[in-house]
Amino acid sequence: MVTLDALMRLPGAMAAFEFRGSGELLEHQIAYPDRLNDSTLDLLAHMCAANMSIATMQARGWEQITAMKGFYPVRAFTLVGFDWSVVVSGLHREQYKQDGKYSLPPFMGVVMSNENADYEAAFAALENQEPIS
Amino acid sequence: MSMIKRLLALDGVNVVCHFRDDGNLVEGYGLMSRDEMTDLARFAHDYRRMAQGNADQLAMFTGMRGWTPPRGWILRGVTQSVCGVGNLVCLVDSIDAPLNDILLELREVSRW
Amino acid sequence: MSIVTDLLARPGVIAAGEYAYRGDRFSYRGVLTEEHARMASIICRATTMSVNMEGGMLEALRPRNGLHPARGWVVYGPSHTVCVMANVFCMIDNAKGSINDIVRFMRGTLTHASTHLI
Repeated sequence: MVTLDALMRLPGAMAAFEFRGSGELLEHQIAYPDRLNDSTLDLLAHMCAANMSIATMQARGWEQITAMKGFYPVRAFTLVGFDWSVVVSGLHREQYKQDGKYSLPPFMGVVMSNENADYEAAFAALENQEPIS
Repeated sequence: MSMIKRLLALDGVNVVCHFRDDGNLVEGYGLMSRDEMTDLARFAHDYRRMAQGNADQLAMFTGMRGWTPPRGWILRGVTQSVCGVGNLVCLVDSIDAPLNDILLELREVSRW
Repeated sequence: MSIVTDLLARPGVIAAGEYAYRGDRFSYRGVLTEEHARMASIICRATTMSVNMEGGMLEALRPRNGLHPARGWVVYGPSHTVCVMANVFCMIDNAKGSINDIVRFMRGTLTHASTHLI
């Protein structure tokens, strides 16, 4: 699984964080605490959890009703905000689910400035997987 | 007397607000400042639209009738709950408030 | 040319369209059927509304947080991606398109798009 350090090395990274499916903020790193603090990141994590759930509902519904494939499981949700973007992914949890594990690793996310954001690099970093031990 | 005031007569109802379609507060009564009522109205307006948008999609994907248009919503906290019906929202005690009665009354008043 | 036509000319874009924030109209081009494009408009509009309201709530709790008002959102799937900025949506084949290019193009083109109707 990607580390927070690796996410913080992405271009324009402001913060990297882990959060539960229910939204609670877990481990995190913040580059500029004067611009983005713990409590804002906590709210953001809850918001991202909600958006991942809704996007998953939409991807499943869309595939069922259109017979188009390739939308589910959602690999990442990105909010492009006014100045900053946040990218979150829970794809590494899918492998645990497929292996029948009930205890899943956290979602991971990164906040980046829009100016320097490299979304594809963020997707790739968040999907950096290691085999389950 | 404003009709929404009668909701305050129900046990456990602490605040009741009426808001416009754009989320602005029209009137509010109860144990809360005007600024807080403005925030509560804005929250209820946003929450209603989000719940409605999600319910619309659920109905679209499943083809199941009975979900839309949603009549209301309840966000139940440990000590306080928020109930919304139409353009009305109530803040109520979670422990003792008769939620069924409150919802019925909200529905009734929201039709006026 | 309209932004939808421009988007469709880009590598990997399989469909693109616009929806009215009021929810009463949509237009599109690409491989979708009319009914599927209507559904895509409903889905995209609902999420756009949600992220804007979430941003508004976050702004009320933590002013000047850099996220509000939201410019758009992206859902990255196994082989397709949906990218939405303002009231324009596009569907991308991941193997053929660059999400960075498309987000940059849409963000640049729609920088001054009015959001007051959201």
